[in-house]
Amino acid sequence: MQFEPRILSFLCNWCCYAAADSAGVARFSYPPNNRVIRIMCTGRMDPQFVVEAFYVRADGVFVGG
Amino acid sequence: MAKKSGKVLVVGGGIAGIQTALDLAELGYYVYLVEKKATIGGVMAKLDKTFPTNDCSI
Amino acid sequence: MVEAGRSPNIEILTLAEVESLSGKPGKFKAKVKIRPRYIDPDKCTACGQCMQYCPREAVDEYNERLDFTRAARIDFPQAVPTAYYIDEDRCLQLNHETCMICTNVCGPKAIDFNQEPEIRELEVGAVVLCPGFGNVPEEALTKYGYGIYPDVMTSLEIERLMCVSGPTEGEIIRPSDFSHPRKIAFLQCVGSRDVSCGRPFCSSVCCMYAMKEASMLKEHAPEAEIALFFMDVRTQGKGFDAAFERAVDKYGFRVIKARVPKVEQVDGRLALNYVTEEGTVHRELFDLVVLSVGLSAPEGAEELAKKFGIELNPFGFAKTEVKDPLTAKSGIYVAGAFHGPKDIPESVMQASGAAAKVSELLAEARGQDMVEKEFPPEDQELLEMPVRVGVFVCHCGVNIAGVVDVEAVRDYAKSLPGVVYAENVLYSCAQDSLEKLKEKIKEHKLNRLVIAACSPRTHEPLFQETLREAGLNLALVEMANIRDQCSWVHADDPEKATQKAKDQVRMAVAKARRLKPLELQKVKVTPSALVIGGGAAGMAAALSIADQGYEVHLVEKEAELGGHLRRVKFLAEGENPQKILKDLITRVEKHENIRVYKSASVENISGYVGNFTSTIKVKEGSKVINHGVVVVATGAKEHKPSGYLYGKNRKILTQLELEEKLSRGKRGLGKTRRVVMIQCAGSRGEELPHCSKLCCQQAVKNALRIKELSPETEVFIFYRDMRTYGFYEELYRKARNQGVIFLRYEPTQRPEVLKKGRGIVVRGYDALLGEEIEIPADLVVLSVGVAPDKENPIAQILKTPMTDEGFLMEAHVKLRPVEVAVDGVYICGLAHGPKPLEETLAQAKAAAGKAVIPLAKGFVEVPPIVSRVEEKKCIGCGICASLCPYNAIEMVKKEKRRKAQVIAAACKGCGVCGSHCPVFAITLGGFTDEAILEQIQAFGLPEAEESKEAELEKEAA
Repeated sequence: MQFEPRILSFLCNWCCYAAADSAGVARFSYPPNNRVIRIMCTGRMDPQFVVEAFYVRADGVFVGG
Repeated sequence: MAKKSGKVLVVGGGIAGIQTALDLAELGYYVYLVEKKATIGGVMAKLDKTFPTNDCSI
Repeated sequence: MVEAGRSPNIEILTLAEVESLSGKPGKFKAKVKIRPRYIDPDKCTACGQCMQYCPREAVDEYNERLDFTRAARIDFPQAVPTAYYIDEDRCLQLNHETCMICTNVCGPKAIDFNQEPEIRELEVGAVVLCPGFGNVPEEALTKYGYGIYPDVMTSLEIERLMCVSGPTEGEIIRPSDFSHPRKIAFLQCVGSRDVSCGRPFCSSVCCMYAMKEASMLKEHAPEAEIALFFMDVRTQGKGFDAAFERAVDKYGFRVIKARVPKVEQVDGRLALNYVTEEGTVHRELFDLVVLSVGLSAPEGAEELAKKFGIELNPFGFAKTEVKDPLTAKSGIYVAGAFHGPKDIPESVMQASGAAAKVSELLAEARGQDMVEKEFPPEDQELLEMPVRVGVFVCHCGVNIAGVVDVEAVRDYAKSLPGVVYAENVLYSCAQDSLEKLKEKIKEHKLNRLVIAACSPRTHEPLFQETLREAGLNLALVEMANIRDQCSWVHADDPEKATQKAKDQVRMAVAKARRLKPLELQKVKVTPSALVIGGGAAGMAAALSIADQGYEVHLVEKEAELGGHLRRVKFLAEGENPQKILKDLITRVEKHENIRVYKSASVENISGYVGNFTSTIKVKEGSKVINHGVVVVATGAKEHKPSGYLYGKNRKILTQLELEEKLSRGKRGLGKTRRVVMIQCAGSRGEELPHCSKLCCQQAVKNALRIKELSPETEVFIFYRDMRTYGFYEELYRKARNQGVIFLRYEPTQRPEVLKKGRGIVVRGYDALLGEEIEIPADLVVLSVGVAPDKENPIAQILKTPMTDEGFLMEAHVKLRPVEVAVDGVYICGLAHGPKPLEETLAQAKAAAGKAVIPLAKGFVEVPPIVSRVEEKKCIGCGICASLCPYNAIEMVKKEKRRKAQVIAAACKGCGVCGSHCPVFAITLGGFTDEAILEQIQAFGLPEAEESKEAELEKEAA
């Protein structure tokens, strides 16, 4: 079986989350391996969020902002 | 002199008309936005993207 | 657009036209005729059944007639109002009394063929005309083979063709044989700068949109070769030159300076014959030709003018004056392309300006007819109940349901902890769905909501409002984005998309369970404004704010008001700038609401929107003032070029220095027999990166003045592109007719100014002759351009961002052209970017209009996402205050201890403070640590279960 990574993305409301919306509006296509948590700014990122994500077995964490 | 009305008529529902209406509403007026077509948006709603930022126009 | 649809103070009347207007400013009576939609927009859920079943085809005007639609239709899915209507010209029932299929298939019974046209009499205090622009005459297009050769298309057709929601879903195909075009030509100035079709003016927008369309075409079809044929490249707007250069570099476009006279068809391709500057004839074949069609006066402009009693200019646009650019006549204002061809930022600016004009006129009636939206009190009993989550999974028509198995998502949601109710909705944002949502909240006693639909960035406010209407706190809703970030991007894999949707819903439910009610805070506003800069922009803005009824403090660093305008002696439009200036100064100095501080500077500004405190340094010392908003109109200066022997010889002047001479009449010109002007002496990449926008019309204006004073004096103008956009084109044409000689140069061959003997010569390259020429000159006039204040102290005090060129940066190039990133601060005039007086005055009005919004409201509403400090936990370390990018945290003494305190009105909810607080004393409304951690844990859940199952299986084995 092919490895299907599960990636948790933390996206900034003003840029990366907006960009992910635009990707949809433009009907771009990308692999469905990420799950998104919206935050108001990547300044909100607390190190414990990343630790927690790996603890619950995320294969990768993406912080976009 | 007769009292002034606090309502405003905006003719045309393109980007200029919509912006005028929004600002007037925020400034404390009641706005009638009159559009010839069945929907507001005007020509801008037809544009796919805008120059130079290529933002979506809707 | 959606915002306009939701405002309780905007009533949208569609299919409507004004029949007549009577009365006087402040109290008009308008008669409006409203044609029937035949579908009740209040009942219509925009499900699309009627259109699906409608047997009658109709040409799709929205898609530029490239496609077909139905008689029962919606123009495009995001239309406002989001409701279908029936085209009375096409409908079988309305024309032949047979069909009625739509009536039978319509679920909510919204279709009503008995609707009649309605006449409404509206009482209004003012009118703003924004009818937009119209089409160029047919012959301007047929001349280029449009309508004869299918592969000649207009720019708007290309726009629709490129759009994913367009007729080909974004695929670029030639209409003749549906093949992909490999060679594409753009022809500029179609129906613009063309006397033969009665359109002598420049349309001001085509150069930009052609470059945009060419870039987008290249993105869609990277193999396509694109050539663009220009007379002049007119990308004079702020930042446009740079964007143009970038696009040419990135995509390798050919920019050809030639006007193509006609298009012919040869063996299924299109042949263009053209002559380049050096006189060579070329013939080239293309697969597709795009006509960059100009803007004309709106259709029916004359009738409109008659109805409203306003005047039109010779080209059919609204006639206005420079000194008051948005007023057609008292009480009737104009904005947008009806005022003259213009782009989106200009239109938006004028719109805000027109709103300010209305607000000046109707200041006394402000608020009198406003409808306040009222919400029921919050249902405390419901809020105190244990968490009861309701999940609503939206189909969004087929947008989501076409990919994601929405029923499966709903059933999955039901199984999640805390969820007591789940259902599917066709369009969750439709008015009737929102009503149902409220009913369900009551029926099932829901106190947390999850909407699995589109993006919270666009729709969260709508659902928050619905919650408030249902007596719930607005913060108790969470959205799962299963459209923009799921169904739309994973259309090729429905199974995985469904899985992702389930995961996102599970994460949203987990977060929703942790959501807490938040208070919507209101902060009082000091009802006065600080305007910095006493030039034309600052004075016009100050006057408007004062006329709208608020106090203004106007600060000018010089001893006299007037700024740059003091040196301008003539206007291209013919009006007297000195008179305009004098009027402004007199009115400003007399106005009871305006306090003027001359020879003064702003030392410091602290605070936030609604509550600023500033220190103004005046001769006598300093003064502290409180104000609610700031308008920055600090202007710019005339650029002083280092080359061209400027400052070394008195025969070399700037355009403003020439104007001073010309203002003395023929005397000022003396025995000048030959004048050579050099455009872009500094601008567009030499010493200033940007185009200064106003120099071309300034040069032409002064050249004409010279010709008027002394017809025998020769005038030469060296230029790169003559950017006499809009109606300024008329002056350019006039100058050429009067014998002014225009010589184009490339940036690689800039003209030089040399001393030769006792005289001065200008050496340049003549493209037509193909050789270098020397012109002896009695006067050399440099169009030096507009230079920003590189070190703008105000920008530094306010922490507002600047562009690379050094101008103040607007919040959004298109939609928020007079606002900046900092709330409560507005910009106008040359400090924002180079522009002629008329645009400056319009922008000043716009800034005044925007600035008065918080003053008129009297309070600023703070979104509840702001951070909050738990005082007990706070140890007063001050890390948060030092990190906050918005200066929204201050350290205060409380019971002898240092504590952090959030200034709610300045907080943007970014959360930097929260993530850095060493003692976890700061919580972020709606984004608490607990909620996000819960969300992360929910992300991991199925994996954990799977592995548990795997372990169990292992054990069993």
